[in-house]
Amino acid sequence: MPGPAPIDPRGPRFNQAVLAVALLTGFLVDWRPVVPLFALVLLAGAALGPRYGPFLALYAKVIRPRLGPPREMEDPRPPRFSAALGVFVLAAGTLAFVAGHPGIGWGLALLVGALAGLSATTGICVGCEIYLLAARRRPMAGL
Amino acid sequence: MIVRAVVVVTILFAIALVGRLYRSWRGRLQTQRPAHPLVPASLLAGASRTWVVFTSPYCATCGPVEELLRASDPEARVVKVDATREPHLADAFSVRAAPTVLLADGGGRVTARLVGAEAVDSYVGRPRGG
Repeated sequence: MPGPAPIDPRGPRFNQAVLAVALLTGFLVDWRPVVPLFALVLLAGAALGPRYGPFLALYAKVIRPRLGPPREMEDPRPPRFSAALGVFVLAAGTLAFVAGHPGIGWGLALLVGALAGLSATTGICVGCEIYLLAARRRPMAGL
Repeated sequence: MIVRAVVVVTILFAIALVGRLYRSWRGRLQTQRPAHPLVPASLLAGASRTWVVFTSPYCATCGPVEELLRASDPEARVVKVDATREPHLADAFSVRAAPTVLLADGGGRVTARLVGAEAVDSYVGRPRGG
């Protein structure tokens, strides 16, 4: 069964870079709304597709036309899964803020920010690796 | 504010450090590892030199690596193995990342092992026997 159409990997990396900068800056100035805000940003791209993620769309419409073609393409499922994990952790962080535990909230947000920064700058996508580990442990149908 | 700045700087430093370590690990070249089993004859198909490229369905750099090997070593056989479809073979050769590339001689002995596209790039750019 053929998989989904491959994507330009620079799109998710741009999205991750924006996410990392936003979360780290939000932590620096203690602006808590950045956590639920970027949970929604990630949710839009992960649940509805890249064209609905605002920064993925910004990359596709504004930045990519100014760049050369990518050296390689990648399967969209691992970065999408990674974004879904980010949504989950940021949602948990938001709940921690609401429950009056800002330390936990920022801890979870910084975890996402650090992993997003790692992926954006080095290509090491921990969420993608988790997806691949899971994929290797289930039947090949649907991969 | 200062504590928060220190935390952010620490995170940025950690990102840079982990990235550097990861690239070093992925790009390392391991040669003459006696622990490797022999490459199965079915993969060698009688060739005197065979590149075995372990890939995965999500590996973006595996295709270019395979093409690079075919172009740079046209006399060798290049065979692709999907590690997710051949998990026993991948385990036998301790494949943990894609692409992992083995160079086997005619007897199936592994004479070089390359992990990551950068390692392949640097290896095929070297003079033969280097």
